[in-house]
Amino acid sequence: MSPRARIALLVLAGLVLLPGTGAVIAGLPPFGSTIAQYGERINAITPQVRHVANMVSAINFDLRGLDTLGEEFMLLAAITGTVVLLRGRRGEGNTERAMRRPGRAVIPRSDTVVLVCRIAGPLTALFGLYVVLHATVTPGGGFQGGVILASATLLIYLGEGYAGWRDTVRSHWLDAMEGGGALLFTLCGLAPMLTGAAFMQNVLPLGTFRDVFSGGLMLVENLGVALAVTGGFTQLFLEFMEETRAADEPDEPGEESA
Amino acid sequence: MSMLPYAVAAWLFGIGLYGIATSRNFIHLVGCLGVCQSATYVLLLGLGYRWGSIAPIFYDHPPGTPAVDPVMQALVLTDIVVGATLTALLLVLTIQAYKRGGSLDPEKLRPMRAGGKSGRDPGPSRVSDAERSVS
Repeated sequence: MSPRARIALLVLAGLVLLPGTGAVIAGLPPFGSTIAQYGERINAITPQVRHVANMVSAINFDLRGLDTLGEEFMLLAAITGTVVLLRGRRGEGNTERAMRRPGRAVIPRSDTVVLVCRIAGPLTALFGLYVVLHATVTPGGGFQGGVILASATLLIYLGEGYAGWRDTVRSHWLDAMEGGGALLFTLCGLAPMLTGAAFMQNVLPLGTFRDVFSGGLMLVENLGVALAVTGGFTQLFLEFMEETRAADEPDEPGEESA
Repeated sequence: MSMLPYAVAAWLFGIGLYGIATSRNFIHLVGCLGVCQSATYVLLLGLGYRWGSIAPIFYDHPPGTPAVDPVMQALVLTDIVVGATLTALLLVLTIQAYKRGGSLDPEKLRPMRAGGKSGRDPGPSRVSDAERSVS
């Protein structure tokens, strides 16, 4: 199809959809006037019945925990697909060492970059841990904290170089974290059934409102999500980074010095 | 004024769709898909917003304070996480398409054939790549 015909088709489809879209937008409640009844009820009830201050975490890990389980496996499937596609040609044998592309210049890092990364890296990791652990109290949770933790490992790459980063970050550990996190979440769903409760029913003691240890089973699920997200995203970084180093010629893996 | 967030969402979606339809580069296409997706963030957060409400976190404010819709925020969180991993997956498919076809242009994408020979004439290194992966 020529580009011109495609634009014409797009405009035509847009014109067909326009009346319906207009009607839907006009039928929506005016912005900022009211919220859905479901959210209203959750805000009113959940702090008392679950002893949790963060409603978003309560929805993700308890009220709609089953949906998060599905999302967790979507995450797992997408990351597995990415890793399989990227690793396909390289094979798994080379993943233990930092590959180096022959002939590529190794650019030394300035002392300032190293210093800043050594200071900011641990602080970022600490902040990520804080965000993960306070999922039920303040804004945060396993998804957000996991991404921050994964970004903290990138600061190691920035400061210590690729070989240093690969010494810190082990591919097999990341696989284990990713799969183990998803497994932990699934077990959190199945374990209550052993006691006769429903799937993912919150059977653990709920703890004190506004305390780090509040929310019962949510804390374990949150930990599983944090593990899976940290492992998964770091694995993505690692595989993309390795891809930039895969030689077109037969590989000559070696250690990078910088 | 009350329609502005929805109009922004519709505009974002439309401009992303236009970019996808006219794209001549896979990476640009993935970026356009991201623009389309950000329309869903704006729409969901706009639907869940209410003037004079706090964030749905009752740490500093006692429970019972009017708060915005937490369901929409949870949905956006899900949306962002899945979107990020799917972007990674699409970029990997882009890499594979480039390796097989030697081009990032969706117009030049051809079906893959047995033996890894695509319809176009690939460079020498592409051929050796394809043959090695088959063997």
